[in-house]
Amino acid sequence: MARPERTVAVNTVTDTLGDDGRERSAPGVDPAGDPFLHTRFVVPARPATFLRRRRLVGHLNQALSTSLTLVDGPAGAGKTLLVADWATTLRGPVAWLTAEGTDRTPGVFWAYVLQALRFGGTGLPPGIGGPADAGRVDHTLLVRLAEHLSERDRPVTLVLDEFERVRSGEIADQVQFVLQHAGPGLRLVLVTRTEPLLPLHRYRAAGDITEIRGAELAFADDEAAALLAAHGLHLAAPGVRALVERTQGWAAGLRLCALAAQQSPDPEAYLKEFEAGQSTVADFLLAEVLKSRPAETQDLLLRSSVLTRFRPELVNALTGRDDAETLLGELHRDNAFVAHLGHSCYRLHPLFAEILRAHLRVRFPGLEGELHRRAAHWLSRSGSLAEALEHGAAAGDWEFTARALVDGLAIGQLFTGLRSDGLARLFSGMPPGTPGRCAHLVRAALALSRGDVDGGLARLRRAEEEPGGEERESVPARLSHVLLRVLAARMTGAPAAAERAVRTARELRRSVPDEQLDGHPEFTALLLTNLGAVRLWAGHAEEARTALTAAAGCPGTAATAPLRQECLGYLAWADLLDGWLNRAERQARAALAEAERFSLAPPPHASTAWLVLAAVATDRSELDVAQAHLDRSTVRRGAPAGACGGRAPDPVTTAAQAVVRARLLLARGHLRAALVALDAAVPATGVTVPSPWAEDCAALVTAAVHLAEGRPGTAAKALEAAAERSPARAVAAARARLELGEHEEASRLLDAAPLRAHHGPALTVRATLVRARAADLRGDTAAARRLLARALLDARRERLRRPFLEAGPWVRRLLGPGPGHDPSWDWLSPRTDADAHGRPAEPSPYPAVVVERLSGRERDVLERLAQMMSTEEIAADLYVSVNTVKTHLKSVYRKLSVNRRGDAVRRARELRLL
Amino acid sequence: MRYEIRIEGHMSRMLTEAFPELDHVVMSHQTVLFGPVVDEAHLYGLLARCQSLGLHVVEMRRMPERGDETHETGTHETRGRGDAAGS
Repeated sequence: MARPERTVAVNTVTDTLGDDGRERSAPGVDPAGDPFLHTRFVVPARPATFLRRRRLVGHLNQALSTSLTLVDGPAGAGKTLLVADWATTLRGPVAWLTAEGTDRTPGVFWAYVLQALRFGGTGLPPGIGGPADAGRVDHTLLVRLAEHLSERDRPVTLVLDEFERVRSGEIADQVQFVLQHAGPGLRLVLVTRTEPLLPLHRYRAAGDITEIRGAELAFADDEAAALLAAHGLHLAAPGVRALVERTQGWAAGLRLCALAAQQSPDPEAYLKEFEAGQSTVADFLLAEVLKSRPAETQDLLLRSSVLTRFRPELVNALTGRDDAETLLGELHRDNAFVAHLGHSCYRLHPLFAEILRAHLRVRFPGLEGELHRRAAHWLSRSGSLAEALEHGAAAGDWEFTARALVDGLAIGQLFTGLRSDGLARLFSGMPPGTPGRCAHLVRAALALSRGDVDGGLARLRRAEEEPGGEERESVPARLSHVLLRVLAARMTGAPAAAERAVRTARELRRSVPDEQLDGHPEFTALLLTNLGAVRLWAGHAEEARTALTAAAGCPGTAATAPLRQECLGYLAWADLLDGWLNRAERQARAALAEAERFSLAPPPHASTAWLVLAAVATDRSELDVAQAHLDRSTVRRGAPAGACGGRAPDPVTTAAQAVVRARLLLARGHLRAALVALDAAVPATGVTVPSPWAEDCAALVTAAVHLAEGRPGTAAKALEAAAERSPARAVAAARARLELGEHEEASRLLDAAPLRAHHGPALTVRATLVRARAADLRGDTAAARRLLARALLDARRERLRRPFLEAGPWVRRLLGPGPGHDPSWDWLSPRTDADAHGRPAEPSPYPAVVVERLSGRERDVLERLAQMMSTEEIAADLYVSVNTVKTHLKSVYRKLSVNRRGDAVRRARELRLL
Repeated sequence: MRYEIRIEGHMSRMLTEAFPELDHVVMSHQTVLFGPVVDEAHLYGLLARCQSLGLHVVEMRRMPERGDETHETGTHETRGRGDAAGS
């Protein structure tokens, strides 16, 4: 969290980098920049010639009492219009989503479903969150959604149209889960060409499904007659029957028939001829209808078949004429091929689009690529970046596509947000030889997002070597370059390079319009997150906080959520380094809450937050809790290896993980293992500058091992090397000097320790304890007690137990004989919530203040004691005399502060010595 | 793998061009598309293409592997006529 004195600095950074400081918008699931997006949530309009069929509406009304409805039939069977028409008659809220091929991953699919529910007026609670990772959706989000739906008074009808495009079994399972748990609060209508991967047999067995399939959708004779009549064709019954037979009652076929016949001088004769023909229905009729249109219209239809949705201006760009608005209006009025989506946005019926594309390829070979290219250029100019990229890729014009991404300042979307997977997939098709600076930048970004630093840097150099000179490059391209430089600097622990790059960014930023930066909050957020992370690595804590706080405050969208989460984790780590346990814990919990809200993959996204919690628990001597948190911080196998800034190997997280693991092993008494775990904390290669805190933490663990193994001299020497910069080092060195009996040197070290006001109890309490020990060794028991009491008081609020356990047996001696003596230190007993059988552990009669390390022999005796062996049996088992066993037992009792065998075993279990 | 896919009705040149990787024979009431299919994914892709073009698939079957292409085409035509006569 920002502290008051930092506010000024934060503003400076955000101002320079273009965050206007406006309020965070509601957590966005809206993949920004798609002007056609809303058309996917609108219930399609029915054409004037639409025929409402009573039997189908009657059957569909049964959907009101079943949780699942399946409308399943071939393309052009009239599924969508049937459901759209029925949906308008419903009283409750209706949410509509037209699925697209891009919805193939769970994160994207559910983001759109949530948006559809909001659009349909379902009023989702703001706390429900939304996925921010294209590849996954958190199970808890589905639980929250199902729970919210199940608590509604009026059920929501959710229509998923063109569901055949959603082929993922994982999504089908998730849909099934939500449907099952939403109970009567959700009625799901799936409109699809293919059988969905849901367990339909179960719904059928329970009578909980309404099914309308192809045969039922087919037009009956009377319906066909009515449809033809709506087109002004009145046929006798045998004629209608023949037509229904020929088209098999297929809605699209009948409609095309009507259109073709309308344009023929003798409709009845025309239809007779058609009946006798043998051609495939759709293709033949479409060709007929197309043929009867003026050349301009034919040309327009063929060319616009490469587009999913379009506006007249875009079609003009493809035809090179300016008549699209008129022609599209005509086609729409005639209900031929074209559906109006509102806001002067059209689409071709998917069936016709496919057939028209086939015609386009035959009639104008090679034109398809050119059309995609023109569409890409038009869309890029009009700001529809996502669609521009799709068409650019389809045209194979990679130089343009890379430039569109870079000049759109959207390179950050390769690292974060719902689009990252899709974009990475799109650009994976870019051939290696694609020239141009932007292509190199995109390749560098892809390499960096995979964690390939060397590859990324090599491609960045290639971009610099491009002829033409950096200065003549566009500003967004130069900014993108800077962003990638900062990311590479962060991954290689190079603060100077990062600062240099950010200074350049500040210069460049002045010549970028505010709207462009505002449209891409993830750009600024990425820049600041990476800057903060590398500053944290280099030990520039204050500057790191400034950047991280600013990054966490960037406007909240699905693209910035993972970054905010990451920043909160780093801020927590900074607090931990400063010695504030509670504050670090709060910050880490906030990061995890953010991760859950946005369905972020736990590791490695949230790994810093889990590491902080593990470190806090270790310092509180809650070792099992610490282990559990540590386990959660590590990357799970099978985690999606997509592109994301948080997935890059970050030296801060790597070092933090090594340090936390080593500290926990040390606390458990596994000294050698702790040293081995440390290796990763101070990487020998791959980083430009070492991290002071990583070195300090490593030195402290190493010194603790020396101390535990009776080498205080070595410990002191190792620590004093940089004692003037690190209070923790100075304090630990003083403690080692005391062990050596060098009191003066110890107090000199303590006085010189650079403890500042911003250092928290984890540092100050340890310092106070060393002073107490010094007083104790001087024989000044009163002063020692006073200092110890102060340490206890400071540590209590943070439940900081570890320093007292580390300090040695003298603490226990000073504290006195047992509980009740001074209740203020009861909390020192580490929490043991439950034993292995889930029963609450008995409250310990003695606080587990101090453990002097047991010798190997003492441990052997203790283990046999726990097996209920008598003193004689132990002696026989260990090949020693009974007296020797008794001596060992006495010292075990002393070290554990107990008087009886049973208590010794219990204490040893509490302290995890057994 | 080699497959043949029988489609209801006569396909126009426009539509057969949408299956450039397959040969075709037009016969009474049907069009037979046939040729090598790379793998399962390709097979499902072909079916999806049929569906999206509004074609009715009447039959689909795997053909025994043969070395001689021309010989095979000949077989097709013969079988096609036989089917037509039978129906």
